[in-house]
Amino acid sequence: MSVTSRPRRLLPLLPLSLLILSAALAVGLRAASPSRLEPRLSWCSPDLAHPFGCGEGGVDLSALIAHATLRALALAVAVAITGLVVGAPMGTFAALARGRIERITGRAADLIQAFPTFLLALVVLSAVRSPGRVHLGLVFAATAWAPFARLALAQTRVLRDATYVEAAFALGLSRPRIVVRHLLPQLLGVVAVQLGATGAAIVVSEAALAFVGLGPRDGVSLGAVMDQGVAAMLRAPHVLTVGALSVFLTSVSLLIAGRALDRGTM
Amino acid sequence: MRAFKLAFVRLLEALFVLLVLATLIFFALRLLPGDPAQLILGDQAGPAELARLREKLHLDEPLSRQYVRFLGGLASLDLGDSLRRPGIPAMRRVGEALGPTGALAAVAVAIGSITGVALAMLAVGPWLGTRRVWIERGLVTVAATPLLSFAPVLTYALSARLRLLPLPGDPDAGALGLVFASALLGVPLAAQVGRTGRAALGEVAPMLFLRVVEAKGGGPLRVWLRHALPAASGPILTVVATQLGALLGGAVVLERLFERWGLGTLILEAYSSRDLPVLEGAVVASGAIFVLVQALAAALHAAIDPRARA
Repeated sequence: MSVTSRPRRLLPLLPLSLLILSAALAVGLRAASPSRLEPRLSWCSPDLAHPFGCGEGGVDLSALIAHATLRALALAVAVAITGLVVGAPMGTFAALARGRIERITGRAADLIQAFPTFLLALVVLSAVRSPGRVHLGLVFAATAWAPFARLALAQTRVLRDATYVEAAFALGLSRPRIVVRHLLPQLLGVVAVQLGATGAAIVVSEAALAFVGLGPRDGVSLGAVMDQGVAAMLRAPHVLTVGALSVFLTSVSLLIAGRALDRGTM
Repeated sequence: MRAFKLAFVRLLEALFVLLVLATLIFFALRLLPGDPAQLILGDQAGPAELARLREKLHLDEPLSRQYVRFLGGLASLDLGDSLRRPGIPAMRRVGEALGPTGALAAVAVAIGSITGVALAMLAVGPWLGTRRVWIERGLVTVAATPLLSFAPVLTYALSARLRLLPLPGDPDAGALGLVFASALLGVPLAAQVGRTGRAALGEVAPMLFLRVVEAKGGGPLRVWLRHALPAASGPILTVVATQLGALLGGAVVLERLFERWGLGTLILEAYSSRDLPVLEGAVVASGAIFVLVQALAAALHAAIDPRARA
C-alpha cells in the first residue's frame, strides 16, 4: 500500500470523528446537565444559549442530544465488538466441524438475525425491576453475534479446503491453533466490515426501544428526544427535526465508518 | 419425498423456536428477582391481596407445575383472564390486536416488495439507460435511513402541516390511513428488496436462456418479468423473510407514533401494567407470526423456483 492512499483509507472515519468530537465538546464545555429542568423555557425555540432549543420541561436539547449520542455510540461499539469476538470464532469452528454442527449453527444464525429484537428486549426487560443500559446491552449482544458467525462460516467454507489449512492439519496442529493462527487472520478483514452495519443497527434499535417506552430510566436517549418531538409535533417541530437528524447522523456515520475496515473498496 | 422431509424439519424447527420463546418469557416473568404479584399490585398492597393474586395466577404452585400449566394453556389457547380487564380472556385480547397489526404488516410487505422489485428491474433493465445509477444511489440512501428518523418527520409534513393525508391513528382515517402507515413501514423493506433484487437480477441478466427468449421475439417486459424474475426470486424472498423481524419492530414504532391499536400497543400496555397472561400470549403470538411467514417464504420460493425443490 502506498503512502498517499492512507488518508483516503481513513476518510470514512471522518463523519464519526466529527460527531464524537462535537458531542464531546458540547458535553465538556457547556456542562449543562441533560436532566436539568427549567420549566419557564419549556419547548423554547433554538437561540444562541440553546442551539437546538429546549424540550419538555425546558431541558437543553443540545446537552441531552450530546450525552445521548455519546452513550448510544459507546453501547453500539461495545456490543458490535463483542459480537465480532464471539461470532467470528463460533462460525469458524462450526465450519471446520462440518456436518450437523455446521448446519445447525448456520440456521440458528439465520433465525436470530431475522428475529424481532423488540420481542427479545421485552423478555429481558420484563425480568428486571428497573431496566438500564446494561440490560439493553445484553439484549443486543444476544443477537449481535449472528451476522459475524454467518460471515465467518461462509468464509471458512472456502478457506477450509485451502492447501495451507490442509498442511496445518497434516502437521498435527490442534484445531483451536489452526483457527487462531491460520483462519481468523485471513477472514477477519471480510468479517470486520459488518461492524459498522451492526453498530448502526444497535443505535437505531436503542432509539426505537426508548421511543416506545422501553428505554433507560434516566431518559437520556435519542429515542426519548423523538418521543418528546412527536408529543409536541405542532407546538415545537424543532424537537422532532433535531431528534430525527441526530438518529440519522449517528447511525449513518457508523455505517460509513465501517467502510474504513473494508480492504476491497479503497 | 425430500420436499416432505424438508417441510417436516421446518415445522419442527418452527415449533422449537416458539417453545424457546415461550419458555424464555415464562421464566423471565417468574424466576428472576422481584415477585410478580408485588410488581403488579405495587408497594401498597396488603398481604391478603397479594395472596389472592398469587393464587389466581397459580404463583403459589411449584414452578414445574406452573410451567406445564402454561404450556397446556398455550396449546389450548387459554391462558386465563386478562388482569387489567377482568372477565376478558387474555387470548381474546391478543386475537383482537392481531387483526390491525396483521393488516398493517401484510399491506407493508405487499407495497414494499412490489416497489422494491419494480425498482430493481428498472435498475437492471434497459428502460432507463445511464440514469440507472440514480436508482442504485437512491436505494443505498434510503436503506441507510432508519424508519424512526423519517416516519415522524414525514407524518409531520404530510399530515400535520400540509394536511394531505389523514393521521393513521385517527379512527376516521379508514383505508387511506392504513395505506399511509403501511407505505411508511414498507419503505425500508422496498430499499432492501431493491438492493438485493438488483444484485440477483444482475447475476441472471447475462444468462443465455434470456437471449433465447429475446431471439424468440419476447419483449423486454416478458424477458424480465416472466423469465428473469423467477430465477432471481430466491434472494428476494430471503431478504423479505430476514427483514420480517425489523418489520414487526417497525410496526411497534408506528403503532406508538400513530397511537394505533395493535399487537405492539397491547404488548407495551401489558408490559407496563404487568398483565402477565396477556403479555405471554402476545409475545408468543408475535413469535408465531414470525415463524409462520418464514416458513411461507420458504414454501413460496420452492413453488416459484424449481431449483429450490431439488
